[in-house]
Amino acid sequence: MLRFAVRRMAGVFVTLWLAATLTFVALRLAPGDAITLQLTLSGATDSQIAARRAALGLDAPLAEQYLGMWQGILRGDLGVSLVNGRPVAVIIGEQLGATLALAVGALCVGVVLGVGLGAGAALGQPVVRQVCEGVIVLLLATPIYWLGTLAIYLFAVWLGWLPSVSSGNELRALLLPCGVLGISLSGSLGQVTAASLREVQQATFVQTARAKGLPARLIVWRHMLRANSSVLISLIGLQGGFLIGGAVITEALFTRRGIGQLVLAAVNGRDYPVVQGVVLLSAAAYALLSVAADILAAWNDARLREG
Amino acid sequence: MLICVGSVILSTLITRQPAAAQPAASRIVYGLTLLPSGFDPHINASSELGIPLRSVYDTLVYRDPITKDFVAGLAERWEISPDGLLYTFYLRRDVRFHDGEPFDAYAVAANLDRITNPETRSQKAVFLLGTFERYIVTDAYTIQLALKAPYAPLLDSLAQVYLGIASPKALQAYSSDLYQLHQVGTGPYQMVEFIPGDYILLRRNPEYRWAPAFYLPDNPSPVEEIEFRFFTDPATRAPALESGAAHIMGELAPLDALALNRRDDMTLLPQPIPGMPLQFLFNTAKAPTDRLDVRRAIITATDRTAIIDSVFQQLSPVAYGPLAAASPFYEAQIKQFYPYNREVARQALSDLGYTDNDGDRILDLNGAPLRLIVIVPTWGNAPQVAQRLQSQWRDQGIDAELRQVPNLAGLLAAVQSGDYHLVAFNDFGADPSLLNTFYLTDGRNNFMRVSNANLDQWLMQATQTNDPAERQNFYTGVQGLIMDQALILPIRDYVNLNAYSKRVGGLTFDAYGWFPLLANLTFNADE
Repeated sequence: MLRFAVRRMAGVFVTLWLAATLTFVALRLAPGDAITLQLTLSGATDSQIAARRAALGLDAPLAEQYLGMWQGILRGDLGVSLVNGRPVAVIIGEQLGATLALAVGALCVGVVLGVGLGAGAALGQPVVRQVCEGVIVLLLATPIYWLGTLAIYLFAVWLGWLPSVSSGNELRALLLPCGVLGISLSGSLGQVTAASLREVQQATFVQTARAKGLPARLIVWRHMLRANSSVLISLIGLQGGFLIGGAVITEALFTRRGIGQLVLAAVNGRDYPVVQGVVLLSAAAYALLSVAADILAAWNDARLREG
Repeated sequence: MLICVGSVILSTLITRQPAAAQPAASRIVYGLTLLPSGFDPHINASSELGIPLRSVYDTLVYRDPITKDFVAGLAERWEISPDGLLYTFYLRRDVRFHDGEPFDAYAVAANLDRITNPETRSQKAVFLLGTFERYIVTDAYTIQLALKAPYAPLLDSLAQVYLGIASPKALQAYSSDLYQLHQVGTGPYQMVEFIPGDYILLRRNPEYRWAPAFYLPDNPSPVEEIEFRFFTDPATRAPALESGAAHIMGELAPLDALALNRRDDMTLLPQPIPGMPLQFLFNTAKAPTDRLDVRRAIITATDRTAIIDSVFQQLSPVAYGPLAAASPFYEAQIKQFYPYNREVARQALSDLGYTDNDGDRILDLNGAPLRLIVIVPTWGNAPQVAQRLQSQWRDQGIDAELRQVPNLAGLLAAVQSGDYHLVAFNDFGADPSLLNTFYLTDGRNNFMRVSNANLDQWLMQATQTNDPAERQNFYTGVQGLIMDQALILPIRDYVNLNAYSKRVGGLTFDAYGWFPLLANLTFNADE
């Protein structure tokens, strides 16, 4: 078990190196840099722009910039924003709480709804099964943007129950954005849960349990869902990417601060250090989450430890 | 459920909560539409920052919102030396910053020091100063600005929020990167709180006694507190007004604006913005738009009124030249250029030798189809306009390939490649010197690749003379020459579509069109 955990943790460092390197390359391949963009319409001359770029090291050879970036990262220094001069760690720290609240809340909604729908689709009565399968397909096909807009009109404009502007982390402010992001998430969770439960239904241990005359509810809760939990835990670990992508849209829809809005502005403004910082943080969170999920799943199921 | 509760507790612990002060009775929410990465007017360049900050800072001079003339601000009067190289400002003596510090010439000097310091890395303010060389404080309430060369736009620059005068004490107390969170000016509103990405809160300055002439002398029911929030997604703006989450909002989509205007509890205010209209700039270095007659025929073949009707719901005026009608020195005679006429356009192209030889309904010349590459940014309704152009031109035998670019970086890269015939662009500003970077032969944004000695000379002379009549002559010539040479296809004057709820009244904007005069807002408690 320890060897398994160590092996997976080594993978995390490779992931982080890859994420940072790919972001570095992608940002330099994209046209324009922060200074050229800032000064193009300002009336600055070419030489003024060149001087400003040089002062920030943007004209240095790429290898030098790359090494500089790693020196900073290894020192724990993510650098300062090229747009407002503030430390990247502080800028990210300001937005992190709001995004965490959104992501964790959405994950709760997604898991509860997804597992419920999956169980209904796999184990329910024929009518329930059909309804749950239909809802899962509908959720998979519904763009989060459309769902969010609909939710705003329904709950904020027409019914007036919830605010369309999600300010702060109180429950009332979180309900709509977490609900929308979570419901979007539940489609794929539901689909996997249903498929996995259907498979488990045919397993010998379930048939044995049935033959022993155990009540159906006990078979589902104690045996089938438990057997399904490894798959589900791994899948939840993999939803980090979806949550970050969904947060960009959800934050904009609900006028909510957070990492999504921050990274969108930073990419458009070619604010390299901010983008780099957010990507590193997301990659770290994503990798750690999925390692934690794998370790949890392996602890739960000895067969996985061999892989 | 446990995780849910945990998340709420966790987020409450790790997120800084705003002080739980009792909000003022007359508090409104004003919707901003961009989320700039920086909000320091001396450092950053976004127009958006001026919406709240125009009322936090005063400037040495102001432009009257209606006449666009220069009027007294923190300087009660000023003199310009005959050679245009020395500006003397006589300052008001009764002004105090929000932190209680007195305003004087040394405060102006401290601001100029900060803006011109290379370490400030100013993105706009320092360039607005043009040929500024140094200042001379002659006494506590007189300051002179010496220039290296005459620079007529200086007063216009000094009237802009980017050169707003901040409290030297506050500038000293906070490092350059932190000042934006604690801004202190002399304006009618003071910054109370700024949570990046979330909101900016302003509170009325009850001590404000030095307002420029166009502020209401005695506002009977001013708004005490204004919270600015960011509605970056256009689809969220109308619902925010309808649900009462915001009371004032700009940059509404034309159809949303019309729908809001039909409601009894909303008022629509289309606000013209001076500057360069939405236009398509011709690349004069690439065939076939290197030929003047081809460019003229393309403009004549374009039904701009139909585009205004369908894309902008008649809420924007048709543009006819390089300057919007709301700009100082606009020349109305420009409207006579290139009225829409399909037959004239068709005949002109036919005279140039264009005919449809292969029956594909696209005109050809020497076997090459009349095909235009158009660079289209995703903002400012440019994609919708470009699609209408494509369809109108196709009917007349002109093929257009639309190449969308997602942001300014993409647009600049596409322009640099030189592989285009037209590129959509617009820019904002009251002084027509903003044309310089686009039309001067060595201008940084000479997307047209134009080189015209008359244009160069007139633009430079108009930037150097302070005589308004002379400037008008030069700019009349510039506008006529640009259209005579068919360097651009103007589409629409930019209009910011604002709507506000009945809870507020008196919404007006300054001479630059974007920035509301918050001190003139009235609060309606009955709504």
